[in-house]
Amino acid sequence: MAQAQAPGQGGTVVPPDPWDPLVRISHWAIAAAVIANYLLTKPGGIWHVWIGWAVLALLGIRLIWGIIGTAEARFSAFPPNPRAAVRHLFDLFGGRAREHPSHNPAAAIMVYALWACLATVTATGLVMTGAKSPVTIAEEKAAVAAGDWSVLVKPDGEGENEGDDNERGLGKAAGEVHEVAANLMVVLALLHVAGVAVESRALGRNLVRPMILGRRRRR
Amino acid sequence: MTRVTASRAAGRRKSAALAAFLLLQAVAAVFFVADAGTDLLSAPTEWHAVLESLVAVVLVAGIGIGSWQLRQTLDRMSEQERALDTARGDLARVIETQFDDWRLTPAERDVGMLALKGLDVAEIASLRSAAQGTVRAQLTRIYAKAGVSGRAQFASWFVEDLLHEGPRA
Repeated sequence: MAQAQAPGQGGTVVPPDPWDPLVRISHWAIAAAVIANYLLTKPGGIWHVWIGWAVLALLGIRLIWGIIGTAEARFSAFPPNPRAAVRHLFDLFGGRAREHPSHNPAAAIMVYALWACLATVTATGLVMTGAKSPVTIAEEKAAVAAGDWSVLVKPDGEGENEGDDNERGLGKAAGEVHEVAANLMVVLALLHVAGVAVESRALGRNLVRPMILGRRRRR
Repeated sequence: MTRVTASRAAGRRKSAALAAFLLLQAVAAVFFVADAGTDLLSAPTEWHAVLESLVAVVLVAGIGIGSWQLRQTLDRMSEQERALDTARGDLARVIETQFDDWRLTPAERDVGMLALKGLDVAEIASLRSAAQGTVRAQLTRIYAKAGVSGRAQFASWFVEDLLHEGPRA
């Protein structure tokens, strides 16, 4: 397996330009999904759930890609290292920004934080909907709309009060976590955008372009 | 050069399409796997549920294999790109050395390089904001220093070096 880049070789250490297509497409798809579910869709609505499930898939394949993907997309290229992240931030604001072969150490922490938020939000979302697929939810809604309320009755007949209370408590907690994590994620995403802007200025290089189409053709 | 860039662009497009398809496949798989999982939980022994889980496993395995394929394609592409960059660097070095041998002035080196890239006199003149007569004179001097009869021979000097190994007589 040929290593795409040999880290630590002086001037040759540059982030990929462009990033590989799977990273690019999943990045923008997740960004679009977050914007859609945070601003546009009705919480708990069928679209909200559909998009949430899609995010689950996108996140899943990106994590798989972190193991078997290209050199710069693999976790090994950007291990979480808080100390290096802090050092990088000091370098950055001290005017000594350096290039890194993948995400810079601070960005790596951001990536993991955003993934953790995404995982939390989707997981709590699944708890809140009882892990029912959007198809099932749509069917139930259609049934209720048609006057058949029986689908709303829980199939298990025993331990009604206790179980229900427990379940309701869990659902409520999940709802709280869902909301907090979603807000946190959006704050982090804004911070991420700001970080890209600052880093682009410091390096004198547009860092967004490699995430969209990649390198301008050389002469 | 343009042919190489075009084939590289085609490679990029193809891998991007493959990646997009993989992601789409993953989204579809999540729904199917969830459905199979629910069925398996509610009726683990039923033939239908077992079959569905088998299909789900195959689907997920397919995504894994597709990802692996994509990784290999991308690795191969970046390897080719690196080889091409190396070859380009080598050719540039060969040209530089030859220009040194011919004792070209900095201006002549510039004009010579542009001429090798296939630009005509008018284009070189406008790029260097010089008069066409100047460029023509510079080219004549370059050809004289190189001992070639004209542009065609000038360009073929370097191509010939690539075709036969070793220095010319």
